[in-house]
Amino acid sequence: MTTGRRIGGYALFGAWAATLALGAFATRAEAAETLNVCHGGHPIMEASIKILEKWAKKFDVNLTSTTIAYAIFVPKITQILTTNSPQCDIVWHNDDWGQIWKQYLVTTDDVPGVADFPKQPLDAFWNDDHKLTVVPMVHTVGTFFYRTDLVAENEVPKTFDELVQVSEKLQKAGKVKWGYVGGMSMNNTWFSLWWTMWNNQCDILKPIYARTVKEWSADGWTPIVDQPCHQEIVEYWWDALHKHKISPEAMTTYGRNEANAIFEAGDAAFTVADSTFWGEFNDKNKSLVAGKVGMAKFPYGPRRKQPISWDDIWGWAIPKAVSPEHQKLAKQLLGAMLTDTDGQIGMWNETGGPPPSVKAFEVLQRNDPVFRNLQKAVFEGEHVHSAYYFANWPQLHKAYSDVAIKALTGPREGIPQVLKDGVKSLHEVAAAQ
Amino acid sequence: MASPARELDVASAAAGYLRRRLTALGEKERFMLLLIAPAAAVLVLFQVVPILIGANASFRDWQLFNPKGTWIGLAHYAYILSDPIFLWVVLPNTFLLMFATVAMSLVLGMALAHLLNWSFPGHRLVQTVILLPQMIAPVIAATSMRWTFNDQFGVVAAFLRWVGFGQMSWLAERWPSFLIVIFTDVWIWTPWFALILLAALKSLPREPFEAAQIDAAGRWRTFTHITLPMLRPVIGVCVLIRSIDAFRTFDQVWVLTGGGPARSTEVFSIYAYVETFVNLDFGRGSAAAIIGALIILVVAWLMYRTIDRLTNISR
Repeated sequence: MTTGRRIGGYALFGAWAATLALGAFATRAEAAETLNVCHGGHPIMEASIKILEKWAKKFDVNLTSTTIAYAIFVPKITQILTTNSPQCDIVWHNDDWGQIWKQYLVTTDDVPGVADFPKQPLDAFWNDDHKLTVVPMVHTVGTFFYRTDLVAENEVPKTFDELVQVSEKLQKAGKVKWGYVGGMSMNNTWFSLWWTMWNNQCDILKPIYARTVKEWSADGWTPIVDQPCHQEIVEYWWDALHKHKISPEAMTTYGRNEANAIFEAGDAAFTVADSTFWGEFNDKNKSLVAGKVGMAKFPYGPRRKQPISWDDIWGWAIPKAVSPEHQKLAKQLLGAMLTDTDGQIGMWNETGGPPPSVKAFEVLQRNDPVFRNLQKAVFEGEHVHSAYYFANWPQLHKAYSDVAIKALTGPREGIPQVLKDGVKSLHEVAAAQ
Repeated sequence: MASPARELDVASAAAGYLRRRLTALGEKERFMLLLIAPAAAVLVLFQVVPILIGANASFRDWQLFNPKGTWIGLAHYAYILSDPIFLWVVLPNTFLLMFATVAMSLVLGMALAHLLNWSFPGHRLVQTVILLPQMIAPVIAATSMRWTFNDQFGVVAAFLRWVGFGQMSWLAERWPSFLIVIFTDVWIWTPWFALILLAALKSLPREPFEAAQIDAAGRWRTFTHITLPMLRPVIGVCVLIRSIDAFRTFDQVWVLTGGGPARSTEVFSIYAYVETFVNLDFGRGSAAAIIGALIILVVAWLMYRTIDRLTNISR
């Protein structure tokens, strides 16, 4: 055989082998279905996707993910859902917009593990046929954080007044620049105005703590921001900002980034943030108070005898526009994620996100002192929902924020009038739904 | 109802008319049409069609999560035009922002252009450095400005504390926060004015300046009586373009104040954005956008007439 013919033979054999290999690969690629997860890029979502990826490999599913900026997440996904586009097989879901998507999502009552999950945090996600439209990913709970190096456990403020007193004491002693810091601007209302509102036996609409359209419409969509319980909390914050100065005056403009930056810089003794910030507050690379942070129950106002907190969820949902095969696969994956105890414990360790798996909850209760602390601070006791489950809720939130910030940035004697004027605008927004 | 045969006649007549018109055009004109066709197609698809869809939505009950699309006539327009926030906060803020930023950027841009018109060592470097704000995306510039003026960690707050001022809560009050918005916009846009005016200055004929020098005219007099009149057409175009752009300013206001505190710094674009993407009401948001477009159309037309007259005077 000449050298030329030999080379030609090798080339032919190589081409044949390559074709075989490519063919095998293509057959395998064709066999595996691809599911796309659309989410907001939060570390908890990334951690939950890691669990999904683990199970995707076992089920021979390719998992891709698309990150969508938080600022446009709701409009973008709403547009995808209303146009029946199958771009996302699984989408991040949240109680804030639970009700505006309910008719576009597949029901999830049949997903393994869902039936074991407590019912109360799922209130936002029932459709009109009373079927569930979400698979829980994580509990989202607001938590009162304090500096353990400045305040002993038995000295943590239990009431609003004590919060002022302890803050002033620490400020006078020069131990800290500010007593309390928390987000207050639009979309950060939970971390100042609202935890105090609920902890003073108050709410935005009547009846207090109600979260159904039936209850609100029976009461004529009546805002109660001009009532004494609400006026008290606005005056409380006005004093905190301008009179006692336990919080920075500019806190009315703070989002969670600014507030967390102050707490992590060691400039504040107390803050309220999602429990998921436990990890960041204790990260030595990001926080000067790492290792000196404790969790406690919310202080409460004069109208309550016990604190009240919120326990809601983030979850995953499946659009109806997705093909039946993909719906089935998505449910399989989400069920595996929800019942994956080890995966959920890993998510807790990585992010501080309380797991939705009931078994993981039990394991952490037994073995993890930090989790026990969080449970004592937030999960035990009474709960209120942190969002209002009706279509115009985002609009009501914005309108409320404008009224409250106007009251807090004006003169103290003007507060009653600003709140009174706000009743009209809030009623119009709520009743228009 | 027209019969199918009649519709076919009309269509073939239209096609024939178009063919005759195209044939009547010369080869050069047809080639020119071919060249602009892609741009025209993009314009129609991505500008004209969306505007028409938006205009259609503005007459309908069109919430993003419940796109019923029921025809409601002028209801959205009536709501917006009777909204006291739109009339007495949003519109005044929009025009104030437009007037203040354009005027200040023009004055500072003119000063910078004169500075750069001299030759001095490091001239090129200075020219590049002062152009930097223009190269940064407005949203990034606004974010850095928000932290610059942060009451706890901002460099401005730190400096003011150092010289003896107390805590400054800039963004918590209407006018200080509005001033920061104006300052940011001026910071971003001054280089644009400077660059264009510098190009115009360099293209001015030397003779009038030499004549003024011979007549012993001072610098200020030369500037007001020679430079400024000769630059008037360029200034006019700059002011017109920049005013239209300033009317729709969004990034700086959204990042710095979000329209707050309590809507007190809200401008037209924030109003339309909140209606559309926060309240998810596409109908009302589209109506707000159309109203804004009509307002700026009238304002731009008035400005164009004024500038045209001033330019003619200067000739």
